Amino acid sequence: MAALRGGSGVLWRRGEGRHRGHGDRLPPGPSLPVPLSAGFLPALQLVRRGSKAVTRHWKAMHFQRQKLMAVTEYVAPRPAVPPRCLPRRKEAEVAEEDNGYVRLLQRQVEEAFRDNRMIAVCQYNAMPGEDMVLLRHYLHKHNIEVKFFLNEIVRPVLSQSKYRNLLPLFVARNILLVSRETKAKEMLRVLKGVPQINLLGACIDDTILSRQGVENFAKLPALEVVQGQAVGALSLLPSQTSSLLQRSSAHLTALLDQHIRRLQEGEGGTLAQPSPAQSPQGTH
Amino acid sequence: MASKVHVVLRPVKSIVVRFCPFESNVESTRNFLGCINHKRIQATNKNCEVTADVRHDGSEPLVDVMFVDGDRLIMKGANLTTAEMLTALGTRCNAKEIKEEQKSKKKSP
Repeated sequence: MAALRGGSGVLWRRGEGRHRGHGDRLPPGPSLPVPLSAGFLPALQLVRRGSKAVTRHWKAMHFQRQKLMAVTEYVAPRPAVPPRCLPRRKEAEVAEEDNGYVRLLQRQVEEAFRDNRMIAVCQYNAMPGEDMVLLRHYLHKHNIEVKFFLNEIVRPVLSQSKYRNLLPLFVARNILLVSRETKAKEMLRVLKGVPQINLLGACIDDTILSRQGVENFAKLPALEVVQGQAVGALSLLPSQTSSLLQRSSAHLTALLDQHIRRLQEGEGGTLAQPSPAQSPQGTH
Repeated sequence: MASKVHVVLRPVKSIVVRFCPFESNVESTRNFLGCINHKRIQATNKNCEVTADVRHDGSEPLVDVMFVDGDRLIMKGANLTTAEMLTALGTRCNAKEIKEEQKSKKKSP
């Protein structure tokens, strides 16, 4: 028999390797073209429902092919020791400097620390945008700028500069308030109205202060008043010394003055009649 | 990851977060403070007061939570992660919520 019925009415035809098939044996319908050279005929040929190997729709793999694919799946090679058990290599830090943007931001950080006398570090919790704009506005009135810097950029800059002790502050979300003047009182007043920003510490005139230090600094009087007080305190002792030294001569002068006045009064009483020309002589 | 933990602050009256920023073990506490101040969690209870107490006395970081029914939860954040603190607070809040719901259900019929 030359033709076999497969599943769902598919007609299979045994390939005739040596002799050509008779025309009347073939069933009516489309069939695959039979090549002339008989040696290359496949063993089984799909005659009816001719779907080619490469189709536009999804075609299920032959079962043998499925088995082959399952057996030859890729298995990734596993290292004998998992990499997380090995000691970690610290090469990540070198790669940062090559990034131009990072270098620019670090330069900005250095400039901010160099140009401003007062730098306050605050913790920044999420704030609505309008509040942020208002805060920026109030601080700008007092010449205080609000700056955001990422911790990864600030940490290497600080570790190489003299502000090493500010390093533990730069953890979690931070905000920097920088200013060329040291208006701590106004800054504290504005920050009191904003509960979402907590002052952690500040560096004022190269002096690192904690929150309590900033509050004490804000309570100090103005610089001129303090200078006047210092000058007064310093000049107190020399003025006391000079008054001590001059006391004896001043005492003598006062005694002589009193003596002269008494003599004048005495002369004026006894010499009531003599002419007034004599009295100026007596006074000299 | 810590921001995905949703905490319902309804049974909480006030939260005080105390830390010394110049110490090295305050990162998780500061992150906790940041997460608590997120608008999503703040929206669950507008009456809850969150206060940050910044000191410089070398003390441990501390989170003090006062509940409406008088309970108090103290978390020492020196060796805790942010997620642990948030989940601890979250589970206690949920437990209290469930208790209150059961109480209200018992009272209503």
